[in-house]
Amino acid sequence: MDKVDKNKLNAFIQFAKDLLGDMYVLHRYEDLVAYECDAYVIHKGAPSAVVFPADTEQTAQLVRYLHEHEIPFLPRGAGTGLSGGAIPLHGEVIISLTRMNKLLHVDYLNRRAVVQPGYINLKLTHSIAAKGYYYAPDPSSQASCTIGGNVGENAGGAHCLKYGVTTNHVLGLKLVTCEGDVVEIGGVPDTPGYDLLGLLTGSEGTLGIVTEITVRILKTPQAVKTALALFDDVEDASRAVSDIIARGIVPAALEMMDKTAIEGVENGNYPVGYPRDIEAVLIVEVDGIEAGLQEQIDQVIEVCRQHRVREVVQAKNDAERAAWWANRKTAFGAMGTISPDYLVQDGVIPRTKLPEVLLKIRKISERYRLRIANVFHAGDGNLHPLILFDARVPGETERAVKAGSEVLKVCVEVGGSITGEHGVGIEKMEDMRVLFTEEEIAAQTDIRDVFNPRGLCNPGKMFPQPARCVEVKKPASMEIS
Amino acid sequence: MNKRSFIYEDAPDENKFSACVHCGMCLEACPTYQETGMEMHSPRGRVYLIKSAAEGKLELNSFFRHPIDTCLDCRACETACPSNVQVGALIEETRGQFFQADPPRGLSAFLHRLFLHKLFPYPKRMRMLGSLLKFYQKSGLQTLARKLNLVKVLPDHLAEMERALPELKRPPVLASGIEVLPAIGEKRASVAVVTGCVMDVVYSDVNEATVNVLRKNGCEVWIPQNQTCCGALHVHAGDREMAKKLAKANIDAFLARDVDAIIINAAGCGSAMKEYGELLKNDKEYAHQAKQFAEKVKDVSQFLLELGLIAPKASLNMTVTYHDACHLAHAQGIRSEPRTLLQSIPGLNLIELPDADRCCGSAGIYNLTHPEMAGRLLERKMDDIPHGCDAVAMGNPGCMMQFAVGVVRHGRKEEILHTVQLLDRAYREEERLQGGEQRG
Ligand SMILES: Cc1cc2nc3c(=O)[nH]c(=O)nc-3n(C[C@H](O)[C@H](O)[C@H](O)COP(=O)(O)OP(=O)(O)OC[C@H]3O[C@@H](n4cnc5c(N)ncnc54)[C@H](O)[C@@H]3O)c2cc1C
Ligand code: SF4
Ligand code: SF4
Repeated sequence: MDKVDKNKLNAFIQFAKDLLGDMYVLHRYEDLVAYECDAYVIHKGAPSAVVFPADTEQTAQLVRYLHEHEIPFLPRGAGTGLSGGAIPLHGEVIISLTRMNKLLHVDYLNRRAVVQPGYINLKLTHSIAAKGYYYAPDPSSQASCTIGGNVGENAGGAHCLKYGVTTNHVLGLKLVTCEGDVVEIGGVPDTPGYDLLGLLTGSEGTLGIVTEITVRILKTPQAVKTALALFDDVEDASRAVSDIIARGIVPAALEMMDKTAIEGVENGNYPVGYPRDIEAVLIVEVDGIEAGLQEQIDQVIEVCRQHRVREVVQAKNDAERAAWWANRKTAFGAMGTISPDYLVQDGVIPRTKLPEVLLKIRKISERYRLRIANVFHAGDGNLHPLILFDARVPGETERAVKAGSEVLKVCVEVGGSITGEHGVGIEKMEDMRVLFTEEEIAAQTDIRDVFNPRGLCNPGKMFPQPARCVEVKKPASMEIS
Repeated sequence: MNKRSFIYEDAPDENKFSACVHCGMCLEACPTYQETGMEMHSPRGRVYLIKSAAEGKLELNSFFRHPIDTCLDCRACETACPSNVQVGALIEETRGQFFQADPPRGLSAFLHRLFLHKLFPYPKRMRMLGSLLKFYQKSGLQTLARKLNLVKVLPDHLAEMERALPELKRPPVLASGIEVLPAIGEKRASVAVVTGCVMDVVYSDVNEATVNVLRKNGCEVWIPQNQTCCGALHVHAGDREMAKKLAKANIDAFLARDVDAIIINAAGCGSAMKEYGELLKNDKEYAHQAKQFAEKVKDVSQFLLELGLIAPKASLNMTVTYHDACHLAHAQGIRSEPRTLLQSIPGLNLIELPDADRCCGSAGIYNLTHPEMAGRLLERKMDDIPHGCDAVAMGNPGCMMQFAVGVVRHGRKEEILHTVQLLDRAYREEERLQGGEQRG
């Protein structure tokens, strides 16, 4: 795709300035550089402009103009996406939703809240906690990411094992279509007809721009109990995971980190004080009504003991529990303390295959001479291998990307998938071929084309294009032209 | 690799920016990102721009400078960052590059020279300025100036500051010329006290309270007479040359005697002094001493708790809320200590301030250079103060000044106090009661 034509662009910038005010239109090189990538840093491209609409109407007007003048664009929330969904690889205009950051309405009786897309995930829970409610999907990035971005990626989180991912909590959407019309979808439970909400959630900004979201809110559980188990052997830890589920316990969260991941978090800003020589740590949390909960966590502890745990303890209080979670939830970022760059994979595997998959990942790591740390939503088999590399070393980026693809192949081989919650974006486009046939991919792009007929809204994402594949550039050439 | 844009001494350290993995966990912690929602006004964006400049993708021009200048250097991002990226230091080093590439000109150069070179480093001149101010307040000139609307010629924010300025009742502590004050009761430690440049003139009563509280806790207090300004504002402004000179002078002054700790009651100065080791790491002669010095620097609240506070016995029946100064909470990790001190005062009811560790907008001289952003942050702060508070306590003179402006601007009644002032009040009350008992 060619860069946006200069004259066309200048006319758009003038239009946007008149509509939004000068200060809400960025077009200087220095400002645009900051928008070259999201939390996926392997591919980069600066936008032609960044615009900040204040409401649905302004968003619609911007999109209408862009559609009419055939200028490609993409929506962006906080830019914490891990697969490059918000990267303007071909100079797309970024529609940033950070100004649309309000909580519009809370309906406690019907347990729902209406938010603007730029509203921060964790703020919702903070705002309704005093009344005894919370918003369940809790991606580790929840302190920064937007609910619009969560809808874009169908985000999950540590506690989605029991409560489900974003799609299970979205009740209605207001959407600016790729042509600039405003439509409302869902809103009433079980709308007849096709499940458009399901289609839109996880569509990675390729089917339009979400400008209002109605979400389900839940009653805060009466009680929470958390256990922390340290293992000398990853296999023992994985068996414990399977056994916990086999016993019929449904933990709210069941998380695992391996030795390299532990090294990262312990060097980071929120260390727990794990012994450096353990091979795996498990965090198991149960919640619900107080009665019977202690028995459940006792059972969990018992299972860990049966699997040669070195040490297992229960959180004494909220502060201790919070410290364990702060450590776990900052795991990706903390990798910066042991490596300048990382590539995080997002494979899904059957739980029981974990020991086998970890072994294969270790082999890949050795073969590519790159360290790999593993962070794992163990309960639902969502594995996050973090491939550590240094983009400044020639060739290392390419090796990391290749190693990543191999990891995904392993996941598919054992009956899993290439993404659990981070989306396909730019990163895993080519890997879609591992999972789908050409026909299956074509069927999906046909659906996209119905919503996005001119292909202007977040083009070149999610699906491999027969004619073009993305090549990896060296950091030196990663400048924008 | 292209030509790098950082060609001057003390360039932003590659190890510091390569630790940033672009995860965005810092975004919502940043007051300027909260206000604008724009990536280049976020910690992640700023670090990314710095990295881009180091790679030669950006020049040192005014468009790159703007986001670097709007940073409050409040370090809230450092608390949030899982990867321990030293955003504050990177910003300061980048400002250093701009300062050398494009030294201040015109009015800003004049102000920079006047305050940062000609006044702050010289305690005597500061005292003189203080006397002038006092004369201005006492002589009726202030009243006259206000009546004649003369203050109108000052920029808005300065005019407000003029109104918010506390009445200068007490002479600077340093000016007393007394070098060593004995401990009251059994001697438990010997300490040196940093009096600060602005603090000692505008808030000399805070210094007095600090000295009194330390003595009450069994400290022999030494006030080195040849100490000077800490250099924090110089580092923030990118004037590392001058900052280094001042740091060296302080190292000479304070290491002349062996004390258990060097005590500071101003968060901004404290964090700058704790970072002398970093500032002078490339200085052959001073690198070692700078580290030694930095290790001894303790915020007064931190030191009192380490020593073991002798809690006051008299009660203060007040409701107080506590504001976390950025350079205490984020830069030094001091959060619980001041709260514990306040809670140790009988009768004092401490209530939490929502988002207590969000910057108030003071940020050194930020409130003068960026009044609009500073004003927005101050307004949010004032709105957050819970109803029914008699006072807001904090540990930094810059914040105290900013809050004082807020009180004036928003027609509020709260007293703005330093944490040690409340402790000091309780001790004095205790003395008064004991005195009464003895007499009666
Ligand atoms: C440290 C870290 C931890 C993470 N942990 C998790 C985790 O536990 N679970 C998880 O699922 N993810 C996780 N993520 C990934 C990321 O945070 C989520 O994908 C999140 O939902 C992205 O939200 P955002 O606001 O940053 O969206 P962005 O990154 O800005 O955008 C993401 C995608 O959604 C689209 N989009 C954004 N806004 C809209 C809108 N209003 N309408 C339509 N499309 C839109 C964009 O075009 C893009 O394709 C993590 C990321 C990081 C950096
Ligand atoms: S120091 Fe403060 S203002 Fe500057 S980037 Fe960090 S959080 Fe933002
Ligand atoms: S500064 Fe820290 S928190 Fe912010 S993006 Fe970089 S690594 Fe993440």
